[in-house]
Amino acid sequence: MKNHVKKLMAFGLATALSVSMFAGCGSSETASNGKVELVMSVWDSDQEPVMKELCEKYSETHENVVIKTQLSPWSEYWTKLEASATGSAAPDIITMNVLHVEEYADAGILMDLTEAEAKSDLHINDNFPAPLVKGYTVNGKLYGIPKDFDTNAIFYNKELFDAAGVEYPKDGMTFEEFRAKCEELKDKLPEGIYPTAINRNSGQTTYNASIYANGGYVLNEDNTKSGWDDPKTIEGVQPWLDLVLDGLSPTLEQMNDTDPDSMFQGGRLAMYLSGNYMIPSYNKTLEGKFGVAQRPSVNGKFTDIINGLAFSVSANTKHPEEAADFALWLGSKEAQEIQGKSGTVISARNDCQELYLETYPDLNLQIFLDNVKDSELLPHCMVTSELGNVSKDFFDQAWRGEISLTEAGKLAAEAQNAVLDKMNAK
Amino acid sequence: MSSKNTLQSTRKKPSRRQKQDWFAGYIFIAPVAIGLFIFYIIPFIQNFWFSFNDVNKFNVATFVGMQNYQDLLKEPDLILALKNTFLYALITVPIGLALSLFVAALLNTKIKGTYFYRTIYFLPSVTMAAAVALVWKLIFHGEFGILNEVLKLFGIQGESWLTNPHTALFCAMIVAIWGSVGYNMVILLAGMQGISKSYYEAAELDGASPARTFFKITLPLLSPTIFFVSITGLIGAFQVFDSLYMMIGPENPAFNAVKTMNVLFYQNAFMYGYKGYAAAISIFMFVIIMVITVIQLIAQKKWVNYD
Repeated sequence: MKNHVKKLMAFGLATALSVSMFAGCGSSETASNGKVELVMSVWDSDQEPVMKELCEKYSETHENVVIKTQLSPWSEYWTKLEASATGSAAPDIITMNVLHVEEYADAGILMDLTEAEAKSDLHINDNFPAPLVKGYTVNGKLYGIPKDFDTNAIFYNKELFDAAGVEYPKDGMTFEEFRAKCEELKDKLPEGIYPTAINRNSGQTTYNASIYANGGYVLNEDNTKSGWDDPKTIEGVQPWLDLVLDGLSPTLEQMNDTDPDSMFQGGRLAMYLSGNYMIPSYNKTLEGKFGVAQRPSVNGKFTDIINGLAFSVSANTKHPEEAADFALWLGSKEAQEIQGKSGTVISARNDCQELYLETYPDLNLQIFLDNVKDSELLPHCMVTSELGNVSKDFFDQAWRGEISLTEAGKLAAEAQNAVLDKMNAK
Repeated sequence: MSSKNTLQSTRKKPSRRQKQDWFAGYIFIAPVAIGLFIFYIIPFIQNFWFSFNDVNKFNVATFVGMQNYQDLLKEPDLILALKNTFLYALITVPIGLALSLFVAALLNTKIKGTYFYRTIYFLPSVTMAAAVALVWKLIFHGEFGILNEVLKLFGIQGESWLTNPHTALFCAMIVAIWGSVGYNMVILLAGMQGISKSYYEAAELDGASPARTFFKITLPLLSPTIFFVSITGLIGAFQVFDSLYMMIGPENPAFNAVKTMNVLFYQNAFMYGYKGYAAAISIFMFVIIMVITVIQLIAQKKWVNYD
């Protein structure tokens, strides 16, 4: 008998061990006290405190709902979301970006919020920047409530400018003036410090906007054709690439060994074009030592690229009403004000954007808001990462000066069109 | 259990007692077996099934028959990936093996501090792969790397080794060889210490040189161990991915130049979301590795000495 007990214990232990490995998965549930429990996924640890604050604020007026945040770092965020969505266990509220929304909406993972929005008093078209609303509208249906946005500017290192005796960049420069400034810096900066850095993959902050300003395009309207073989596209990018080829930026190799963000943070770049989301990071090493100026104009246009996040709701949530209501509330003035005051991001809602200005009083943040009216949404489609990958080698060669940008563009367009054909055939 | 007992058990019906023993045995292996089943065997079968389907990012599968395999034959990067994989395996495994053998032979002698050296050589095997990749990335760094600093002493201007498509794969090979020596050395050393001392005593009496002793006694008697190390080494080398991903990474201009079969697999499965196609790539790789292993198993009869 004693033996049996031992064996039973062993068996029990073994099962307990293997079962416990699978516990801890799963999303929402109704808590034992009858309250509805929702889970919201976020990836930015800097923003988690304010997201928690929002969840608590909502529960104050909706006592039957408790919302928990689920933080997974950016590097794992999409893999994890992909896996949980596959198992129909996605978080109830999902922080979404423009690059992924189409894919997730298409796969039926996100809830269509069109009707819920129409019934609410959110008035999304009046209260939010149009490119963002358009970005989260897929096939005429709304899949996300805009959360925040980012635009771009020149960040400059005041110490390097002072040491070189060069005047700080001003708002309203033309591209030619920007280039002249780079050349002046090149002569006066010590060896190993560069006027600026233009990376192959930094289109969002630099050359993508110039493509639009020049009348070119990256992807056509219905995502069937790449714009890289259009001379207007090439003409928009060429001036930026020339900065690299003429030694006003580090080489592609150098920018890969040390990425330009780190170079700027380490005081090795005088100017760098970046989004406003980088301010907290730059403040870590350069607080008070850097300024921001408006992007240079191309063809007299100050076009910029806008990108932003949104709150989406899982299509498989067990509490669709509560989850949708919470997502809509996150777009309300009350919620977006709390977010705006936290200084982490620019709240997407028009009447809350200005709160951001007060968060870093010594920086001229107004330019980030001014850029919105002239901005285009970050180019994207269902196969964005594949498009980037099949064309990467050609642009790398152009960035090293081995082939002309026109030739690289032609080869890239060919490769991208093949990918788009495959996508559209499905 | 005595041999008599096992013999009986094949003929007679197992007794109650034996059944109980078996039951206990199964329970003991259960934690490992369940894990193995869930994390290896089921995914393998599922992967095989996926390779005949069009599977999107969210695991929605539609049956497409042999389509993925037909696409694979048309894959523009297939030749490059196969070339890189074979090049990587055929360089890292033999060199790694030769170096491990050399180090093991040195550490098999009676020198002071052998334990210290063994620990040092084994360290790479117990260091986190991510940490290893980070340190080597700094060594190969174009501007501040130690390698270039050393080269500078000889008046050579080094380059960005990991971003140059011509050198990146070789850098990865150096790291792989460096990383494999410790683990192989421990196994080879164990093999060497299993060789009876009497052979060496006899050789010494006959006045054989150390080199001759090594080639005529150590090497033949060590051949089963060498065989084991080379077969596991090759299987590992054919699956190289982590070091390439961490040291070079998708944004690197050299990433496509270091594309191995597993990188191709990763790209399709996790960057593009073509999981069915990726499954076909992995099955294709599985077959290649299996064929090579079978060839090795046949060839070993010619050179491996089990006496």
